[in-house]
Amino acid sequence: MTDIRRGVFQIILDGIEDKTIQVNDDTPLISDGSVLDSMKLVELCLTLEDFAEEKGFEFDWTSDQAMSRSRSMFRTAGSLASEFINQMDAKK
Amino acid sequence: MIVVTGSSRGLGLAICERLHSLGVDVFGLSRDVSNSTFPSMSCDVSSYEDVKKVVLTLKKQDKKVSGLVNAAGIASMNLAVTTPPTVSQKIIETNLLGTIFCCQLIAPLMMRNKCGSIMNFSTIAVSLGLKGESVYSASKAGVEGFTRSFAREMADFNINVNCIAPGPIDTSLLKGITANQIQKIVSQQIIPKQFSPDAICDLVELLLDPRSNSLSGQVLHVGGA
Repeated sequence: MTDIRRGVFQIILDGIEDKTIQVNDDTPLISDGSVLDSMKLVELCLTLEDFAEEKGFEFDWTSDQAMSRSRSMFRTAGSLASEFINQMDAKK
Repeated sequence: MIVVTGSSRGLGLAICERLHSLGVDVFGLSRDVSNSTFPSMSCDVSSYEDVKKVVLTLKKQDKKVSGLVNAAGIASMNLAVTTPPTVSQKIIETNLLGTIFCCQLIAPLMMRNKCGSIMNFSTIAVSLGLKGESVYSASKAGVEGFTRSFAREMADFNINVNCIAPGPIDTSLLKGITANQIQKIVSQQIIPKQFSPDAICDLVELLLDPRSNSLSGQVLHVGGA
């Protein structure tokens, strides 16, 4: 697992009240079984914005892809981390 | 800092000038900011990319945004059946989408601080169902609906979202409307008198005051409707 992926997972974990939950690629962020409520999800986005700024790029969480239910970046912790890394690589 | 759209004329300009005169840090957004006497930036609110550029600028300046006044708007008096599609599109894009884009993109700046006040603009034309203003009314009815739902979404972040719905205020937006037509609309208000931009500025000040933080998701009719 890359440092960035680990960093995204840690940020997700920080937003979960139940600290017994483990965050992995399959952890759902939206829909049934989501570990975050809508407020925590937005806070996660704001924190990821800051994390991206540290890494020298702008994290876009308002794109069409972000909101699509079938291919949303928020489906799982894994898909969010992958999109974060994709955006970082694209900006290089 | 308070961000005000539509800052080059009409109510937006009056609000900027009022806040600026009170020493409030105001930031105006308008397509033309060449004559601005307060800090401003060129922005077409119907352009998502334009609004995004504003947000990036504010972030770079490390400004703490505590208020957003979405006063940018256009009107066109016309029967729906004689309104050209380009005009309908422009009205919806500026009045409704412009308000949505600014809320979507600027609210996160306030969400970080868990406080703020957002004011959107509707019109008496919505509640009275004024003849000849159907497309304009539709755009503003959309703003009212958006305001109510968005207020719930923002409540978790201690941000209040309200809508100001004036009757006919003496601004350039009334260009082409006769004194008789204005009087007819004004006579249908609960307080049957035409208010000046000052009344709107007073209301904006009130909604920026922390003492109004029990109000959210409301449509406030200036003059009563």
